[in-house]
Amino acid sequence: MAFTLRSVKVPLNSASLEEARGRVFDFFRKACRSIPTIMDIYNLDDVVTKSQLRSIIASEIRKNTHVTNPKVIDLLLFKGMEELNNIVEHAKQRHHIIGQYVLGRQGLAQDLDTKDEGTSDFLKNFYKSNYF
Amino acid sequence: MALRATVLRHIRLPVQTLTAIGSRPQPQWSFLRLFSSHDDHLTKEEVIDRVLDVVKSFPKVDRSRVTPDVHFQKYLGLDSLDNVEIVMALEEEFKLEIPDKEADKIDSCNLAIEYIYNHPMAG
Repeated sequence: MAFTLRSVKVPLNSASLEEARGRVFDFFRKACRSIPTIMDIYNLDDVVTKSQLRSIIASEIRKNTHVTNPKVIDLLLFKGMEELNNIVEHAKQRHHIIGQYVLGRQGLAQDLDTKDEGTSDFLKNFYKSNYF
Repeated sequence: MALRATVLRHIRLPVQTLTAIGSRPQPQWSFLRLFSSHDDHLTKEEVIDRVLDVVKSFPKVDRSRVTPDVHFQKYLGLDSLDNVEIVMALEEEFKLEIPDKEADKIDSCNLAIEYIYNHPMAG
């Protein structure tokens, strides 16, 4: 079954930070190798290039560099694998991929209209996140 | 038929006399070795040029600092994840699949050039 190709047979159990680090790189390589499939499934050729997708995946991984507990890293890897599986088996749609991964920090709500430029900084921060 | 005859009358092929020593194919026909895959290897200059292009087009890299023997982490200030990303970019460029153990060793431009040049499947 294509769906179970990537599911983890044995739960990850990294003994040390080095082993977890090796697993992170393995996950990154696996994700990079499935980039051509992803671009083909979701027709992303006009939107991003392969190297941009690689950089996006790298920056997602880099968000968690501060983690030092191998068990937490295992959990993050499990979630990453699940996300990658979902994307590759076409469980998501094109607008999910574009909104979640391709667009930059401003996300879907971009500051394009002149009416938006007058809003206060408080409102802009509020739209971005709960904590500011 | 008449056309064929006139064409055949006017075609001339250069006559190659084989030397008495050996019957090696003459150098100017060497490009016609269509079924031999031994000429498919990339030249070293081509490998160096393409590797440097890949490294230079990496967004975090300063183009002016890239030379054929630069170390990714020590000289260009990248981290280990960037290293893996560059190796993946090289895999894509040369249509290779580098096994993990080898990929971990590729730390600098000249190691990458060596590996790719010695790889039989490098495209």
